[in-house]
Amino acid sequence: MYRYDEFDREIVQSRVKQFRSQVERRLDGRITETQFKPLRLMNGLYLQLHAYMLRVAVPYGSLRAKQMRQLAMIADKYDRGYGHITTRQNIQFNWPELTDVPDILNDLAEVEMHGFQTSGNCIRNVTSDPYAGATAEEIEDPRPTAELLRQWSTMHPEFAYLPRKFKIAVVASKTDRAVIRAHDIGIEITKNDKGDVGYHIIVGGGLGRTPIIGQTLREFLPREELLPYLEATLRVYNRYGRRDNKYKARIKILVTETGIDAFKQMVDAEYETLEPLDIAVSAEEVARITSYFSGPDFEELPTHDDSYKAKLLSDKDFKNWAENNLAEHKMPGYAIVNISLKPIELAPGDITSDQMRAVADLSDKYSFSEIRTTHQQNVLLPHVKKSDLYEVYQALKDVKLHADNIGLISDIICCPGMDFCALATARSIPVSQAIAQRFADPERQRAIGEMQIKISGCINACGHHHVGHIGILGLEKAGVEFYQVKLGGDASENAAVGKVTGPGFSQEELVDGIERLVDYYLEVRKDGERFIDSYNRLGMAPFKEALYAA
Amino acid sequence: MSTLKHKGKGPQSLTGNELREGYSVWLTPELEWSRDFGEALKTEDETLIAAMQAKGEESEEANFVVGVYFIDIEPDTGLPVRYREKFRVKGPSYDTADELGLKREK
Ligand code: HEM
Ligand code: SF4
Repeated sequence: MYRYDEFDREIVQSRVKQFRSQVERRLDGRITETQFKPLRLMNGLYLQLHAYMLRVAVPYGSLRAKQMRQLAMIADKYDRGYGHITTRQNIQFNWPELTDVPDILNDLAEVEMHGFQTSGNCIRNVTSDPYAGATAEEIEDPRPTAELLRQWSTMHPEFAYLPRKFKIAVVASKTDRAVIRAHDIGIEITKNDKGDVGYHIIVGGGLGRTPIIGQTLREFLPREELLPYLEATLRVYNRYGRRDNKYKARIKILVTETGIDAFKQMVDAEYETLEPLDIAVSAEEVARITSYFSGPDFEELPTHDDSYKAKLLSDKDFKNWAENNLAEHKMPGYAIVNISLKPIELAPGDITSDQMRAVADLSDKYSFSEIRTTHQQNVLLPHVKKSDLYEVYQALKDVKLHADNIGLISDIICCPGMDFCALATARSIPVSQAIAQRFADPERQRAIGEMQIKISGCINACGHHHVGHIGILGLEKAGVEFYQVKLGGDASENAAVGKVTGPGFSQEELVDGIERLVDYYLEVRKDGERFIDSYNRLGMAPFKEALYAA
Repeated sequence: MSTLKHKGKGPQSLTGNELREGYSVWLTPELEWSRDFGEALKTEDETLIAAMQAKGEESEEANFVVGVYFIDIEPDTGLPVRYREKFRVKGPSYDTADELGLKREK
């Protein structure tokens, strides 16, 4: 696991002190709101529609049990007993009070957490594959690279005021569980013909009001060139990215307007002027960081476990859960346990303090104290022995965390929308609930198979609707909410932006329309085809017809 | 200072957020701040509106509220005109704490 070193500790603690003093000065009027706002945002504190909101960074989605327990404590002591997992693998509290925030940050610092880089035009929290260190698909654990980027970008003086926010995601397998093609920079750790490990660098992806799939900047970047090359890329963006119009300020616009080839030339020219050795980290430093992630002491186990198999046969609910929520582990006899935060009746991504503590206890007991958050707004235990799965399942059931819908139609990504967000144009939570209710029948969900519905409450697209198989955007006209539908988006390694079907729907019409759409798919699909496959085979027209058939 | 000055149509209310707790507040006929929109002053009277404006500026300077602004009110319903403001008045239609009977107050 990532080990917090003395630099981090000092920085985080001095920032807490700093913020405490800033809050005091704000409260007694020595600093104005205009001066204070950027200071609070730098610590992840927003003012939302009804109250403040605190966003806590979870670097590359890796959490330890004691951190999860502390988050639970914070939820109880200072908030309303729950938190919300975001599509950037962070956690948000919806109801903190400004006067408590210095204490919250202090409590977070005790477990090596903070809210840096969760806001503002800096390099944001680096995200990664939640299966990191656990999946056999990966070339190596992507987290040392993510950590290297975190260290490089944390308070990098040159990149504190970029034209706009900057998001980086890293994976190390062909399967993309971090949507790297929808990031400002996406990195896939890869091997070249000679077997050397390096980086496939993708640039200029993004969602928001102008969704763009990233393009390849370097097919293969040698390992030691990573930081200098990204430094050059960020310098080019910092210099040429537009600052006159915040809607055109992301790197995706610069790359599109310049053209990828010309952009690459600019980066290469900048790279020539660098002293790469000043920025590159030594092999020893890479080894030191990598050693933090050396992985737990796995037991040598047989691939199959008889007690687990027996339970699969005797408990049908357990079998359904296991089939849907488990993923293959690189070690024989282990499994990755996905925990769905999408029970039919609750808001996607919300987790109560009791549930946080239960997950923390389970991870201590069964998963080497490791927990991950996912961009799908779920959590997972990365390393569970198959022989322990039944106990884990029972314990999850006790706290209602046993929903067996990972990857299915009710595993919906959904932003807070108008219920909490100051920028929203419509609600998103009730829509996701209505869809989940309509398809509540577990048999039906399994029959439909993999389906990604993603909902945003405004064009900022925090709910990833552009890359949903079915994407839903909440809008408002003359005081009435309506919902626009996109089809054919894809958040995987085959990333694609969905296409708008046509005029929007009321919430009720929308759910009926989606049901017709899904029924149509079930009619026309060929063996084993997922919804997105059928859509790609048949195109928009017939699906659109089904959607609007009423 | 926010874009406090009203350019709206019809009855006006004044709103903002408490600096300390962050909750939404509206100005009452007594020119005090209330978390309950039901108590809000709604008026077209330019003299009153000027007094509201003065109170808003004063409250910001006193570091009591932040982001003060006028909102348009529908004369027939007494509710804010903008959808977003209607929502601010009602509070979230969904909150996990309410749903599960978790802590109501902090
Ligand atoms: C305080 C509440 C929030 C505010 C003010 C906010 C604001 C924004 C804005 C303005 C954008 C568009 C940026 C651009 O296109 O340049 C955006 C995009 C995005 N936000 Fe949020 N957001 C909020 C909550 C969330 C939440 C809860 C999540 C996760 C569930 C999230 C994740 C994202 C993602 C993934 C994107 C799109 C990716 C991108 O292109 O940057 N945000 N947000
Ligand atoms: S998509 Fe819009 S409504 Fe949803 S969280 Fe982002 S800014 Fe708010």
